[in-house]
Amino acid sequence: MLSEICGGKILPPVVKHITQEKINLYAEASGDFNPIHVDEAFAAQTPLGGTIAHGMLILAYVSEMMTQAFGKNWVSNGKLSIRFKAPARPGDTVTVRGKIDSIEDKESVSSVNCSIECCNQKDETIITGGAIVKLPFLERTADV
Amino acid sequence: MPAISYEELTPGYEFPPASYELTPALISKYVKAVDSSGVEFVPPLAIGACAMSAMAESLSLPPGTIHASQEFEFFKLVPIGTVINCQAKVVRKLARTMMRMLVLELNVLDESKERVQSGKATIVLPLQRTNAQ
Repeated sequence: MLSEICGGKILPPVVKHITQEKINLYAEASGDFNPIHVDEAFAAQTPLGGTIAHGMLILAYVSEMMTQAFGKNWVSNGKLSIRFKAPARPGDTVTVRGKIDSIEDKESVSSVNCSIECCNQKDETIITGGAIVKLPFLERTADV
Repeated sequence: MPAISYEELTPGYEFPPASYELTPALISKYVKAVDSSGVEFVPPLAIGACAMSAMAESLSLPPGTIHASQEFEFFKLVPIGTVINCQAKVVRKLARTMMRMLVLELNVLDESKERVQSGKATIVLPLQRTNAQ
C-alpha cells in the first residue's frame, strides 16, 4: 500500500518481461487461444507480423500495480478505462506506470484519479488510460 | 448451442450466461500465468478474463480479432471458491469497409446475485480477405 496518497504521487511501477511461454500460459488460464496470440505461423501472416500478448494479460499487470498501491480498495472499489495503442510482443519488457492526478472528496469518500501508461523497452506506448479508486475519506487523511 | 457469428449479431443481443467456480486451482493457474504472487482474494482481472471467456465461448470470432479498449468497474472483494455468473450483451456493432468492430457490455454476479464487476470491451475484427488481397 502507498504510504502517502496525494496528487502528483507516482505509483510504484510494475515491470514484466513478455515471453511466448507466458502468453501460452495465459491462453491456457483464460481459454483464449486466438491464433494471433499462440500460433506464430498464423500471426506472421497478419499485418501484426507475429504473435502478440493478450490485452487482458497486460491489463493484469496494470491491476497488479493498482493492487500494490491501493490494496483491497482497488479490488472492491476500482474503475479502469484503457485503450490498447500498440501490441506487446514476445521479447518486450513492459513497464506499467501510474500517477495520482487528483483526489476528489465527497461526503465520506475520496475518489483518487490516476493516469495509467504502459510502455515497452523502446518507450512506445502500449496502453493509456485512467483508473479511479474510491477510498474511505478517513483512511486517506490518516495516511497523509 | 452453436456459436453465433459476427454477421448474426445485433445490438441488444444477450449471450447465454455462463457460470464459473473460482476454485483455488483455477486462481492459482491464473496467478501463475500473470506472473504474480499468492493472493488472498480473486484478482479482479481473473474475473474479467472469465467474463470475456464466457462471451467468447458462444461467439465465433475470426482468428486475428484484437482488443481495442476495455473498461472495468469492481464492486466487491470476491473470495476464492465463489461461483460467478457472467453475462454479456452487444451494445454496438460497427461494420465499415475498412473496419468491423463490436462493443460488448459485461456483467458479473455472485451466488447472491450481487454485482461483482461490470465492464465494456471493444474488439476489432480483421477485415475479411478477398481473392484480391
